[in-house]
Amino acid sequence: MSRVSMAEDYFEVSDDPDNPVRLKGSKCQACGEVFYPRRLVCAKCLNEGTDDVFLATSGTLFTWTWVHVPLFAKTDSKVSAYGVGQVDLPDGPRIQAILNGEPSDFSIGMTLELDVETLRQDDEGNDVVIYRFKPAGAAS
Amino acid sequence: MKIEGAAIAGVGQIKFDMYKDTPSVELARDAGLLALHDAGMTLTDIDEVFVGYLGLAHQVGVKAVKEFGLTGLPVTHIENASATGLFAYREAAWAVASGRAEVAMALCFDKMTEMTAARVAGGNQSRGAGRDQLDASILPAAFFAMWAQRRMHEYGTTPETFAKIAAKNWNHGALNPLSHRQPDHVVTAAEVLASRMIAEPLTAMMACPADDGAAAIIVASEEWVRAHHPDRRVVRPMSSAAQSEAYSPGHAFLGPVVGPATMTQTTAQEAYEQAGVGPDDVSLAMCHDAFSNEELEYYELLGFCEPGEGDKLVDAGETSLGGRIPFNTDGGLIARGHPGGPTGAAMVHEIVLQLRGEAGARQVEGARIGLAHCVGGGSVCTVNLFEGVD
Repeated sequence: MSRVSMAEDYFEVSDDPDNPVRLKGSKCQACGEVFYPRRLVCAKCLNEGTDDVFLATSGTLFTWTWVHVPLFAKTDSKVSAYGVGQVDLPDGPRIQAILNGEPSDFSIGMTLELDVETLRQDDEGNDVVIYRFKPAGAAS
Repeated sequence: MKIEGAAIAGVGQIKFDMYKDTPSVELARDAGLLALHDAGMTLTDIDEVFVGYLGLAHQVGVKAVKEFGLTGLPVTHIENASATGLFAYREAAWAVASGRAEVAMALCFDKMTEMTAARVAGGNQSRGAGRDQLDASILPAAFFAMWAQRRMHEYGTTPETFAKIAAKNWNHGALNPLSHRQPDHVVTAAEVLASRMIAEPLTAMMACPADDGAAAIIVASEEWVRAHHPDRRVVRPMSSAAQSEAYSPGHAFLGPVVGPATMTQTTAQEAYEQAGVGPDDVSLAMCHDAFSNEELEYYELLGFCEPGEGDKLVDAGETSLGGRIPFNTDGGLIARGHPGGPTGAAMVHEIVLQLRGEAGARQVEGARIGLAHCVGGGSVCTVNLFEGVD
């Protein structure tokens, strides 16, 4: 049994506990702007041509909220409250994602790192995962 | 764009509400007939129709127009998320101003009560289940709550300010027979704060309802309107500015997005310049208050005060009826409702009543110029100015 990405065009996962998830981005061949998710045409300079890159795995929390309704992205709707944040990666992109932790764990400006959350099991018994962010150094 | 030679011939709106058993085309029919009656027309007089909705199947717009009769006129569907109604109006206004039509109608309707959650969040975009699920993992309420959190962080704004704005709009709705929400008592900020938390700091009473509705706007040449309604104050479109998003660092491509807040600012600047007026000239404004913290931002971005000063406008009651620049006099998205397609058309409906002096208990004294603003997911923004003249 292993972990598989729920959207392989967007992120890959491994069983390595130190590097469980990497977001797939694009870097413009002309101006160097970095995007998530991957794209062909640079949104900034309109150059047709980008290189595939993996994005930084940690970033800064720009803003966040604590949502008091069942979690959309989980088949398990028993999760009745959860965090959502916008995280600025050092290479440029701002990522909107679910947060792993309690409300008291988060504050604007702190460093977060990528983490994975299991959504369901597939037919082969693999864990199908989505990415999320957690406070740097916190347990998964 | 500057709009010249056009005037509003008629407006119609049904009360926004939950119409579980009423087909959407009948909601459209009822609003359209109200507008036709207000204009003193039948479908024969209309040269072109722009239909606006976002939650219904394709073709429904042209089928809705058949409810008024089949005259062979061109019908075009317009969809731009929350801003759909204003964009449909914009096309009708431009069709007349450009001379291609003497009379054009924007017919907007929707049934949010039939929207699925996945569709609200942008699902079914033919980009694969994975991306749809990534997009859908963040609710619009969470997106706007993150705006609110950032605002509190940068300016020290408190949830009380968001609650005061919501209470104002609920209380404006009580004065509007077409408002979905009709509170039977004066709503207080404390009551808003005490309602169910959705996404901190936003509570249920700071959020618009999901509802159904319809509204229609008929634009005609000013000559036509003056000839047919010589005793009525004429409401003229002045300008209509529209944008989709320009790239800026910090743009999030996945999940809900309505563009950087500055989009409202640059769109408004364009609308003011084209109309040759400024914020000081505006008598009332309608904005996209899907969540009340948005309205606070728009006070500043639309130019009614300096950045960070919006809280003071709220505390002084300047954006309530009776204040210097009343916002969302019909209750706004929060009280009047936000069925999607017709939302922007309802904004125009309210501005027309106000500039004609027909707004009853919520009349803004001496109203001369009205502003209608909407952002839409995706992202788009439009700002439209109107003037009332004798």
